[in-house]
Amino acid sequence: MINKRFFSVLLSAAVLFGPAHPAVSDAAPADNIQGFGPQTFTAIKAQFAGKPFVVSLWSVDCAPCRVELDMLGQMKKADPDFPLVVISTDSIEMREDAADILDEYQLAGETTWMFADSFVERLRFSIDPGWYGELPRSYFYDAEHNMMAHSGILTEEKFRELFPY
Amino acid sequence: MQTFHLISDCLRPLSRRPLPDCLNAVRRFLSVTAAAVAGLLPVMLLSSPAQAMNCEALRAAEGAQTISVHCGGAPSATFDKNNDVWVAFVSDLHVYVSHSQDKGTSFSAPVRVNAVPEDAEFNGENRPKIIVADDGTVLLSWTKKTSNRFTGEIRFSRSTDGGRSFEEPRTINDDGLAIGHRFDSLFLTESGKLFVTWIDKRDLEASLARSENYPGAAIYYTVSDDLGASFIPNVRVAHNSCECCRIAVAAHGDDDVAILWRQIFGEQIRDHAIAVLGHDGSVSDFSRATVDNWQIDACPHHGPTMVPASSADQYHMSWFSAGTIHSGIHYARYDLASAASSDIIKIDGTPGAGHPSLATFDGTLYLVWKGFDGVSTPLQLMLSHDEGRSWSTPQTLITTDQASDHPLLITSSDGVYLSWASAQHGYVFKELSHD
Repeated sequence: MINKRFFSVLLSAAVLFGPAHPAVSDAAPADNIQGFGPQTFTAIKAQFAGKPFVVSLWSVDCAPCRVELDMLGQMKKADPDFPLVVISTDSIEMREDAADILDEYQLAGETTWMFADSFVERLRFSIDPGWYGELPRSYFYDAEHNMMAHSGILTEEKFRELFPY
Repeated sequence: MQTFHLISDCLRPLSRRPLPDCLNAVRRFLSVTAAAVAGLLPVMLLSSPAQAMNCEALRAAEGAQTISVHCGGAPSATFDKNNDVWVAFVSDLHVYVSHSQDKGTSFSAPVRVNAVPEDAEFNGENRPKIIVADDGTVLLSWTKKTSNRFTGEIRFSRSTDGGRSFEEPRTINDDGLAIGHRFDSLFLTESGKLFVTWIDKRDLEASLARSENYPGAAIYYTVSDDLGASFIPNVRVAHNSCECCRIAVAAHGDDDVAILWRQIFGEQIRDHAIAVLGHDGSVSDFSRATVDNWQIDACPHHGPTMVPASSADQYHMSWFSAGTIHSGIHYARYDLASAASSDIIKIDGTPGAGHPSLATFDGTLYLVWKGFDGVSTPLQLMLSHDEGRSWSTPQTLITTDQASDHPLLITSSDGVYLSWASAQHGYVFKELSHD
């Protein structure tokens, strides 16, 4: 898919060659959004070596994702150490739109990721070769990094069932 | 289902934001290095090297501000009655039109459609549409994004002077609400009836205002019998459509159309529905066209494709599903009279495969789609010479290891053509029918 603005190609170059956090306009909300590249998921898994964690994929354009972000924001608020990896499948060029939404669900303070390579098929594949790209999409990793996937809105009950840690 | 705060969200003002300063630095850097890189990039598998100019190379040669089909966002194409190719694309908040008299080898200087910048959506499922009527009127529709909360307007413009200038865009949805109207499709019948269809959230918003549940959105359309000078009032086709998949439109006789879209059946099964839309604003009851049992409360962003079969009231369909009955890309032929599908065939079940496009020409059915093998994206082609009952083995038309658009098939009076944009190959317009 050709992503928004076509500058995404340039933006992927920005991630390769430039600072990890491009300077944004004055009105930009503070965020902790990192670029998600082809190697990022491997690095995230290494960061959680021997530990369980949850991955939640969302996009600015996905209405049902807001329900999940709302729940995740509340869970994170109740337990700041909750091992949560939130990845937006939008181009990182849309970081301000994403930051607005994350802020609304009290997730702006967390480190989260946005797709930072216009070849999105490769990024999706790096997360899960069996994922068709539908959103919201969640992954539940146990300490041995056995993975369970779920598509669609999760209730907190279902979430706890899939992630009893 | 919760309310997603939609009404309040779409009232929030959103301003255009300037490009980050560092982007300009990156652009300068690329313009210096791109000349060196450009020689390595266009490794074309297709036989027409004249098209092998991608945006990066073009802008290195002609300047970073170059507007071209090769740099355009989500281009779509059509033929006029002289078999000239017309392409619409988005660049820097403008829809542009360019045409080609040599089947896409070279293109005219792009002409701006909207004088005032607006955020025309361009991505795989949302792109400017273009049709040229027999009298030369150039007709365009697109979705103007009005916020980051899935709100938009259906826009229409046309040129009555052969594409030299365009009328000021008009908003086609007639509810005046700052809500979601998106995923437009445009179709001109044999008899000159111009149909615009789209996904509309006015019924969702009205239900939310009454604190009532409303799964999905709705399908709406309008028709013009004077090539877009005027349109009839908006007509609802169906409640509870999926929110974010393109709508496929095909001729139904000389005056009317059949449309195929992703519909929510029950609480959360997102399979496909088909209906006939009349040029007089009449709508048939819709029928279920695919039974895939895809239970998902999510955004597939994956719309179907449909063309008429040779028998009246029959349609070739191809679509994507991850249902329990069918998953992957499928083909079937649907018969409106019996409301049944036949020859349901799995085309490609690999998870990376998607976005099929169908065309028919001279008794042959063409099906193109995008694959992904973990490293690169092949465009695959299959042919059927017996109305979809049997198919050739897939052949790979072209491959890219960079970002690419959905493939589209465009039919003229003399053949079937691939229309496809990628970062690596630029805009490719390539005849398939005479290979």
